[in-house]
Amino acid sequence: MGPSAELVRALEAVVGPERCLSRRDELLVYECDGLTLHTADPSAVVFPESTAEVQDLVRACRRIGVPFVPRGAGTGLSGGALADEGAVVIECSRLNRIRSIDPENRIAVVEPGVVNADLSVAAAPHGLFYAPDPSSQLACTLGGNVAENSGGPHTLKYGTTTNHVLDLEWVLPDGELVELGSASGFAPGFDWVGAAVGSEGTLGIATAITVRLEPLPEAVETLLAIFGDVVSACRAVGRIIESGLVPAALEIVDQRTIRAVEDSVYAAGLPRDAGAVLIVELDGPRRALPPQVERVRELCAEAGGERVEVARDEAERTRFWRARKGAFGAMGRLAPDLYVHDAVVPRTALPEVLAKVCEIGDRHGLTLSNVFHAGDGNLHPNISFDRRDPDELARVMRAGSEILEACVAAGGVITGEHGVGSEKREFMELVFSEADLAAMARLRDCFDPDRVCNPGKIFPTTRFCAESNPKARGYDRVPLG
Amino acid sequence: MGEDLASLGLPDGVARRAHAEEPVDGVPVATTLAPETPEALAATLRVLDEAGLAALPRGAGTQLGLGNPPRRADAFVSLEKLDDVEVLDRAEGVCHAAAGVPLEALRGLVAESGWELPLDDASRGGTLGGALASVAVAPRAAGFGRPRDAVLGLEVALVDGSLTSCGGRVVKNVTGYDLAKLYLGSLGALGVITSAWLRLRPRPEAREVLTGSPLADRQACERAVAWSRGAALRSVFFRDTGSGLEPWVELAGDTVSVSGELERLGGEGLVRAEPADRDAAAARRFAASEDSARYAVSCLPARLGACVAALRESGAALMLLPGSNLVIARPDAGCDADEGFAVAARAAEAGGGRFLCEAAPPAHKAGRDVFAAPASEVALSRSLKAQFDPKGTLNPGRFAGGV
Repeated sequence: MGPSAELVRALEAVVGPERCLSRRDELLVYECDGLTLHTADPSAVVFPESTAEVQDLVRACRRIGVPFVPRGAGTGLSGGALADEGAVVIECSRLNRIRSIDPENRIAVVEPGVVNADLSVAAAPHGLFYAPDPSSQLACTLGGNVAENSGGPHTLKYGTTTNHVLDLEWVLPDGELVELGSASGFAPGFDWVGAAVGSEGTLGIATAITVRLEPLPEAVETLLAIFGDVVSACRAVGRIIESGLVPAALEIVDQRTIRAVEDSVYAAGLPRDAGAVLIVELDGPRRALPPQVERVRELCAEAGGERVEVARDEAERTRFWRARKGAFGAMGRLAPDLYVHDAVVPRTALPEVLAKVCEIGDRHGLTLSNVFHAGDGNLHPNISFDRRDPDELARVMRAGSEILEACVAAGGVITGEHGVGSEKREFMELVFSEADLAAMARLRDCFDPDRVCNPGKIFPTTRFCAESNPKARGYDRVPLG
Repeated sequence: MGEDLASLGLPDGVARRAHAEEPVDGVPVATTLAPETPEALAATLRVLDEAGLAALPRGAGTQLGLGNPPRRADAFVSLEKLDDVEVLDRAEGVCHAAAGVPLEALRGLVAESGWELPLDDASRGGTLGGALASVAVAPRAAGFGRPRDAVLGLEVALVDGSLTSCGGRVVKNVTGYDLAKLYLGSLGALGVITSAWLRLRPRPEAREVLTGSPLADRQACERAVAWSRGAALRSVFFRDTGSGLEPWVELAGDTVSVSGELERLGGEGLVRAEPADRDAAAARRFAASEDSARYAVSCLPARLGACVAALRESGAALMLLPGSNLVIARPDAGCDADEGFAVAARAAEAGGGRFLCEAAPPAHKAGRDVFAAPASEVALSRSLKAQFDPKGTLNPGRFAGGV
C-alpha cells in the first residue's frame, strides 16, 4: 500500500514533487542501509535543501501522524536509517554545503550531507584535517557520523566524532530549531552536544555542524608488522599501549583477510602465510618519531613479531593501508553477503576473545575473518555468507549472538562505532539493566515523547528483530541459485 | 530538620551528622547524610524524594559556590564514605574509582602505576565526584582534554532509588545514549555520580615549566594562541599581576618534543621555572574573594583580543586560559551584578562564546541564571529535569536555567 495522498501532498507542498519520492519502485532503494539484512518500506523519501525545509517536513509529518527518519548516505551498518513504522525518510544529501572553513579558529561549519572525506580535502590547503575517518569516509556523510558517533582507524589518538563536534544547529522532533553547544567549545549547562552525538537520529536532525579541525601532522610513519599468529599481534598491541606510546592507529588484519585481500584487486603484497599483520601509524613532530619507530620495532619483536617494515614513501604507506581498507571489498570474493560485526572488549582481553570468536565461527561452519581497530579493542568479525541459504543464515545469526555475548562477558560492549540501530536493540539488555534503559528512555522522552523520530532503534522490544521486523524475513524472496 | 530526618526511616549504613548550619549561597543546610555504599546512597535519595526534602550532593565541598542559589536545601548527601579505587588496570590504562576519592590521592595511585590521571583541579583538594559533577575547566585541560574525554562510564544514583550505569570500561563505545555527557558538569541535577571508569594517559617522559615577564594585553593575546598550539603543551595560562599578564607554560610528553618546545619558547623570552610556583599561580584563580564575582568567558581564538578588551572596560583582573578558549575575569569590586553580567555577556559576544558566573556573593546571583543558558536550552533543561527528578529533590534550582 502506498503512502496516503494527504501525506504526499503535505510533503510536496514543502519540497515540490521533484524532491519527493513516493512510488514503490522509487522507494525500494531506501528500504535498508548498509545492513541489508534488515529492511523496511518508507512511506516517502524527501530531499530538503534548507534548514527551513527540514523544519517544515518534520511539522508536516507530525501534523499527519507519520514518523520520520533522517538519513545520510545510508552507509550505516546497524539499520539505523531503517524506515520503521512506514516512516518518511528525510534524506539529507542535498544539505551538502561546507558553510565555512575558519583556519584561524580551526573550525568548520558544515551541513549534514557533506561527505566525510570531502571536508578534509577542503581543509587541507589550510594545513588542517577532520580527524574521524570511518572506513566508509569516501561516501558517508557528517550528519550520519554525528548520528552514530562514528569512529575509524585513527580514533585511537584523535577520538571519535563526539570529540570533534562543538556546536549543532538542530531541528527538534516538533520542528523547532535550536542551537546546541558553542563553537568556542565551552557551553555552560547540560552537554547537549554530547547527548545528541551518537543518538542515532532519535532526538532530532542536525542541519549544521560546527566541527573542530586538527593540524596536519608534521610527519607520519607507517609500520607493517608481520606475525605468525593473531594472538601474538594482539600481544604486541597490549605492549604498545602499556608502554605509553599513543599511535595514531593500531590495526590488525588476520590471515583469512590477508588471503582474501591478496586474491583481490586490493592485493598489497602481504605474505599469504602470515598469521596476522599489525599496521602501526605514528604521527607528530618529525624529530619525535624515530625513537617511537624503534620502540615499536622492539615491542613487536618482544611479542613474537617476525619482522617490521617501515613505509619508505607515500606509495608504500598507501600499500600498507590497502590491506586494511580493501578488506571489506575483498571479501566480496568470498561470498555474496557479508555481515560486519562490531563490538569492543578491553584491549587486554583481545587474545582470548579473538580465539573465542574464531571458535564460534568454526563451530557454526562459517567463513569468519577479522580486521579490526586493535588499539581500541574494537573487533570487527566479518562473516561471509549466502543469504539465500536459510540454514547458513540461521547459523550466521546464532554466531553473531554468541560473539556479542562473549564480548560482553569479557567486560566489553556490543558496539564501538556502528551503533545499536535496529540490529542490536535486542542485545541492549546484555549490557544494561532495566533501570539503565529506563534512564535512557527519560532522555528520549525529553526530546521525543511520542517516539516519532526514528522509531524502532536503540531500545529493545519484547521480541527479537526478525519477529518485530517482518521484512527481515523477506530476504528469502531472492531466488536460490 | 535533624529530627525530621530521623523519623524518615533512612536505610542502614547512612551516617547522620547535624551541624551548625553551613550555608550554600546563603541558604542554610543543617544536616549531612553520609551513605556507606552506593546502594545506601540511592536509597537515601529515594527517602528524601518521597519526603519532599532537598538533597545537595557534596564531595569535599570545594565547589559549593558554583551554581545558582538553591531554592531549598535540607541535607547534604556526602560522598565521603565512597572512597574506594576498585580497579587500577595498569595494562589497560583505565581505572574505576568511587566518587568520594580525593583527586590528589587518586592522582598519586595512578602515577605509581605508571599512568597519569587526566583531570586537573588546580590543587584545590576536591574529590573525583566533585570534579566530574562540576567540570570546572582548569589550565591542564589544554593537554588533558575536557573531563568528559577521560570518562568511559559512570554509575549514578537516581531519586527513585535506582542505581544506574552508562558507558562502560572500554575506550570506545556507542552502546545506547551517552548519558554520561549529561551527568558530567550538571551539579547532580539529574542524579548523583557514585563512581566512574576513567581513561588514563601515559605518564610523560619529560615535563618542563616556563614563565616570563608580564605582557601587555595585546602581546599576551597574540602569543596566547600560538603558545596554546605548540607540541607537547600541557597547560598555558596568563595571570594578571597588576602590571601585566604573566605567562605560565607547562610542557609534557616525549623528551624530543618537550626539548624542542623548550628551545622554541626560550627563544620567545620564556625561562624555566619551578612546577610548584606554576601550581601556586594556577590556584590563585580560585583564591577566596567573598565579596566579588568571578566569570568564565569563552571565545574563539582569533577573537581573544576582542573578548579581553571588552572585559577590561570594567576594570576586571584577568586570567587567560587560551588552551581552553577561556578568560577568567574578576570585575572590579565596585562592579554590581547588573554591570558584571552585562560585561560578561558583551565579552562573550565579542569573543563568539558563552559565559558562566563561576562564583559570586549570593546577592550578586539573586534573580539570575549564573549559567546564562539561552532560552531554547532552558526549555530542554526543564524538560530533562522533569524526567529525571520531577519533584526537584536534587540540588533544586542550582543548575542551568534554574533547574
